[in-house]
Amino acid sequence: MELYFGLKVLWWLVLGVLLMGLAIMVGMDMGVGTLLRFVGRDDNERRVCLNAIGPHWDGNQVWFILGGGAIFAAFPLIYATAFSGLYVVMLLLLWTMIVRPLGFEYRSKLPSATWRNAWDWALLVSGAVPMIIYGAAMGNMLQGVPFHFDWDMRSYYTGSFVSLLNPFAVLCGLLSLSLSIYMGGVMLMGRAGGAVAPRARKAAMGAAIAAIVLFTLGGIWVSFLPGFVLEHAPAPGMPQNPLQQQASIVTGGLLANYRSQPLLWAVPALGYAGMLLGLLAVRGKRSTLAWWLGAGAWIGVIGTVGAALFPFLMPSSSEPSQSLTLWNSVSSQTTLLWATGFAAVFVPLVVWYTSWAFWVMRGEVDAAAIQHDEHAY
Amino acid sequence: MKTLLQFLIYMLLAVVAIVMGVILGDYGSWYFAWFVGTAMIVLVAAAGGAWMDAHDGSVDETEPAGH
Amino acid sequence: MIDSTVVELSRWQFAVTALYHYLFVPLTLGLSFFIAAVETVYVTTGKTIYREMAEFWGKLFVVNMALGIATGLTMEFEFGTNWSFYSGFVGDIFGAPLAIEGLMAFFMESTFVGLMIFGWKRLSKVQHLLVTYLVAFGTNLSALWILIANSFMQDPVGAKFNPVTMRMELDSFSSLIFSHDAQAKFVHTSIAGYVTAAIFVTGISAYYMYRNRHMAMARRSFRMAALYGVLATAGVITLGDALGFVGGQAQPSKLAAMEAMWQTEPAPAPFNVIAWPSQEHKRNLFEVQVPYVLTPLLTHTMTQEVPGVDRIEADAARRIANGIPAVAALKVLSRDPTNADALAQFNSHQQDLGYGFLVKRYAPGQDVEKATPADIQKAAGDAVPNVFAMFWSFRVMVGLGLAMLAYFVLAVIFSVRNDVENRKWFLRLAPWMIPIPFIANEFGWLTAEIGRQPWTVYGLLPTWMSASSHSVGYMVFSLIGFVTLYTVFIVIEMTLMVKFIRKGPSSHGHGHPAPPRPSLGGRATAVAMMREEG
Repeated sequence: MELYFGLKVLWWLVLGVLLMGLAIMVGMDMGVGTLLRFVGRDDNERRVCLNAIGPHWDGNQVWFILGGGAIFAAFPLIYATAFSGLYVVMLLLLWTMIVRPLGFEYRSKLPSATWRNAWDWALLVSGAVPMIIYGAAMGNMLQGVPFHFDWDMRSYYTGSFVSLLNPFAVLCGLLSLSLSIYMGGVMLMGRAGGAVAPRARKAAMGAAIAAIVLFTLGGIWVSFLPGFVLEHAPAPGMPQNPLQQQASIVTGGLLANYRSQPLLWAVPALGYAGMLLGLLAVRGKRSTLAWWLGAGAWIGVIGTVGAALFPFLMPSSSEPSQSLTLWNSVSSQTTLLWATGFAAVFVPLVVWYTSWAFWVMRGEVDAAAIQHDEHAY
Repeated sequence: MKTLLQFLIYMLLAVVAIVMGVILGDYGSWYFAWFVGTAMIVLVAAAGGAWMDAHDGSVDETEPAGH
Repeated sequence: MIDSTVVELSRWQFAVTALYHYLFVPLTLGLSFFIAAVETVYVTTGKTIYREMAEFWGKLFVVNMALGIATGLTMEFEFGTNWSFYSGFVGDIFGAPLAIEGLMAFFMESTFVGLMIFGWKRLSKVQHLLVTYLVAFGTNLSALWILIANSFMQDPVGAKFNPVTMRMELDSFSSLIFSHDAQAKFVHTSIAGYVTAAIFVTGISAYYMYRNRHMAMARRSFRMAALYGVLATAGVITLGDALGFVGGQAQPSKLAAMEAMWQTEPAPAPFNVIAWPSQEHKRNLFEVQVPYVLTPLLTHTMTQEVPGVDRIEADAARRIANGIPAVAALKVLSRDPTNADALAQFNSHQQDLGYGFLVKRYAPGQDVEKATPADIQKAAGDAVPNVFAMFWSFRVMVGLGLAMLAYFVLAVIFSVRNDVENRKWFLRLAPWMIPIPFIANEFGWLTAEIGRQPWTVYGLLPTWMSASSHSVGYMVFSLIGFVTLYTVFIVIEMTLMVKFIRKGPSSHGHGHPAPPRPSLGGRATAVAMMREEG
């Protein structure tokens, strides 16, 4: 039972790390996609932007796939309930995500200006929309989503598509978009050179300021939002399902964890520190430092959401007692053990070869070389 | 010393490969067959190319190298 | 309440997106190892023509792989968006291989494919070769984990039901990954990918040879791909037999439908070469039989009986009746997990829980406890998949497989005699062979997955219960979205492929074709090679 409890908490942390890694790495590529048309004024400049992330976007995208896979493996009930409940939003996310690989691979394969222009728009949409949805999904988790279960654990979502894009969720979406633009801007500042870098720097500064404002507004808003409190449930280390517990809604409940554990305020503070210091680093043209500070900002922001919700993952606004928590939506002990074993072996390996790949392809993108390399994006 | 070290590393790799082969052969004989079969298919195909060059290569080798 | 229209539309959507995804996967699986073979020759002999070949086929590889990756994302989402009951019910087992696939294989292929394309100048020859092999292993490891997950749906081993969490849970990981179905299916599928790539390469090379273009590259590619293909095709057929043998033990209903065997016949039973099966009349309206052949073909013995449709339906009816009390007990347990009576009832009937679910769609108010004997009979009739579809999709796949074997044997003979460029009829035929493996792959998928019906997880969870509870409007919206998007994609992909193939490898490096050069003999090559080394 202690082992199972430990594994559950471990996988909650792993989920957090994956969501953060996804936001940092994929968010950066998405930011480049969003900025592409604005910082790259001609085809040559845009190709420089794309090739700055060219060798890595594919590897980065795996964070996204891995995030989905890990939710499926470690939190099957969350995967089932969230993906089906948020159907239309999930499809928009999916459709914009699947245009991206094609945008990278196919854009520069033909010389036609119309062709390339169309792909630039596709990359803009497939950079901005997924980030807005990513943030909006987190915003919806904070507020709770209207769903309930049958006796056999069949889930029913009772809200509408429009209700998923409520003002608070949109605010979260914009915050996520700003952070991704910041990361994309910082990336281009460091690797694009030429006329692109100063424009990317401006964009990153604007995005950092927007993120600071949105994070503050969100924080104030959250203190008025209803939160969820678990009243009665099987012990956390026991196997269980969401029909066996009782929970209720309390106004301001999202801050309950922060009130009982004041140390948690360090998490949003990390987010603020990342954004503010990041802004200064961008001003000082320290792109590598700014990148790491941006990563810190993401960790702080997503950590803030996680700490506010704990132990809830996907609360139900219509049937609070059937909310999905970390304790009742997680996989069995055997599955978690195997998943832990695989992660322990392969995560270090992945980190090792990914950094090797970055090292091999290091350095600023050479605009002239792109013209002569037919493989270039 | 360097030779000895290299020898030990390769011996270790060989032992690991043998142990994995034995385990895979026991529990997953088709997986084992895939591994061996793929190696064979790739090598036969490669040998086919090299063979062509060995026999009648000189006619084709005038093809520009592309750089 | 479950809406049958929504289930039907969800099935169509899944089939369309999976079949579409599967257009790109096999070529990726096979072309990656083919390129590795070409590059192996480059590294061992140092002849730059092989590097050009590797780069040319690599370019086509990437165009194809981009769509494979993009449409693969859909598959990962769709279990959750459209099959949420399924995902909750078996996610504890099914999710793990998918996550491991991402961690172990997909990361590898995606990271290294970047280096494979961009790293020619930054890596040493041997390093680049290693990277190419890692891409090849990565793509095939991907297939391995996906097929382990798929095999759990076909032959659910290594799992047990937990009434506390109300789902199937992983019991033995090693039974899951070493399941016979997973093994045979992985090897069959992976090698079918090699065949696909071999036909693709020989077809395009023949197209060049027919027009007397890029002869050096085309002849070498043709020779290598012909050998690659003939061995792979032999492997696919062997593994196809193994898969039929393994699958027949696990899924007798699939086998009965595949062979259109309505009545159980004493061993050795006759084999239907051609038939016109009618599900309505439960017999073949027309058939051509070979006596005694079916039993040795399927069981590899002369005496083991192969159950026909009649036997399978009778068996299903019995198991449905036995499974209904299990479902009833489960309903009590969901409210009261410690109820001892319900637990005892569940334990004594749980081996037929899935069959209890099977009657749900016919029972009044979708409550299995109210099911009448007539409802049970109807549900038992569902226990056998569509015989016509099975019989013919299986035969199309096998027929095309044999045709490809014949093609490769000829290709090897001609290529070894250095005669293929004079066989104009063969060079004209070869490009038309390119669609054949793709069609065979799709029919293979259909045989495997239609044959699994009416289950998503064989014997455990009916397809009809597995779908998400959406509205018809949502399903129409998503289907239209997928069809529109995917149509645009395939048009773009085909345009690029054809363009690159027409252009050929000679434009390499500078965007315009290299001028024809006079024959200079061996020294020019040596000089060119030295320049390459420098």
